[in-house]
Amino acid sequence: MYDLVIIGGGPGGVAAGVYAARKKIKCAIVAGDFGGASKVSGDIQNWIGTQSVSGYEWSKMLEEHLRAQKGIDVIQPDLAEKVEKIDGGFLVKTKKGKSLEAKTILVTTGSARKKLNIPGEKEFDGKGVVYCSTCDAPIFDGKVVAVVGGGNAGLEAVLDALPYASKIYLLDHNEELKGDAVTREKIKASPKVEIILKTEPVEILGDKFVTGMKYKDGEGVVKELKLEGVFVEIGSYPNVAFVKDLIKTNEFGEIIIDHKTQATSLPGIWAAGDASDVLYKQNNISAGDAIKAVLNITDHLNKTESHREYSK
Amino acid sequence: MAKIIIYSTPTCVYCKMAKDFFTKNNLAYEEHDVAADMKAREEMVQKSGQLGVPVIDIDGKIIVGFDEDELRSALNI
Repeated sequence: MYDLVIIGGGPGGVAAGVYAARKKIKCAIVAGDFGGASKVSGDIQNWIGTQSVSGYEWSKMLEEHLRAQKGIDVIQPDLAEKVEKIDGGFLVKTKKGKSLEAKTILVTTGSARKKLNIPGEKEFDGKGVVYCSTCDAPIFDGKVVAVVGGGNAGLEAVLDALPYASKIYLLDHNEELKGDAVTREKIKASPKVEIILKTEPVEILGDKFVTGMKYKDGEGVVKELKLEGVFVEIGSYPNVAFVKDLIKTNEFGEIIIDHKTQATSLPGIWAAGDASDVLYKQNNISAGDAIKAVLNITDHLNKTESHREYSK
Repeated sequence: MAKIIIYSTPTCVYCKMAKDFFTKNNLAYEEHDVAADMKAREEMVQKSGQLGVPVIDIDGKIIVGFDEDELRSALNI
């Protein structure tokens, strides 16, 4: 039985792994990959100690730091599918069929991209429906596209598409765009961009590839746009399905934690980072909060077992 | 040795991950930048029916996106 199983390989999970290994806690980490949501970021300029680094280089730095630790089992690529309560701890079942017993669990699984959940979205995923605008914007050279979502991610997707697309519709359900003022002004100044507010996409149309999108306008009238790409940038939701039945979550699906210790509603499970109800979703905060959790877990293990065996 | 072709864009992280995976496993690959090469873009769309990168062609087997396990199984490594 592990003392601790960390679930998730973003900055929180990696920081926790490094600290747990140095505390000589018998520990495993289960991760799909490393780096979390910022992995696809073009340039990270606020990771403390590093002036500028691409998300990909940064994720490799995290992975190397983690793998340099002795005494931590790195189970990757794999994902936690279910956490169950067992006698004296928990059972983590993974997608690839592994079962790990653990006295304590730290959840650092972050969040996943929200989908529109409208007809045509799944069918045309990769056939005009885009979730990585940075990756795929150049493929829409000379084409008409729509970006759904007026937050920062949506505005950045418009910037990604600007050098390529012939026209960009920016759709948002609010009455005004929410993203950064500087980016907003840049977008509004472009003759290529048409902003349509108070809208709700209802269907993505196509045959082999996307050919259009239907949306409901502010008056509830369904209208249609002819286009070949739909870039979906409507935010994210916490990755907590595998543990949701055991612990309390809030209305946004975030794990409710004690912000002093990172403990969840169920003794033995801690959470940190974007999967938790932390006020600010930031790489540095996720790392710090996950470290806080490991220190509290160490205290807890030391208190509950005076003769705990240390891993070698 | 399997013939590997990857269709990519310079800004695509998953393409970089796939290329790193090939390099780490000493596998040679041919790369086409579909942001710059219109012909390669058409070829990619025709082969895969996809408007997204990376598209990877391993001896004619088409893999969309980066999935280490899927690549390992296609390459028998």
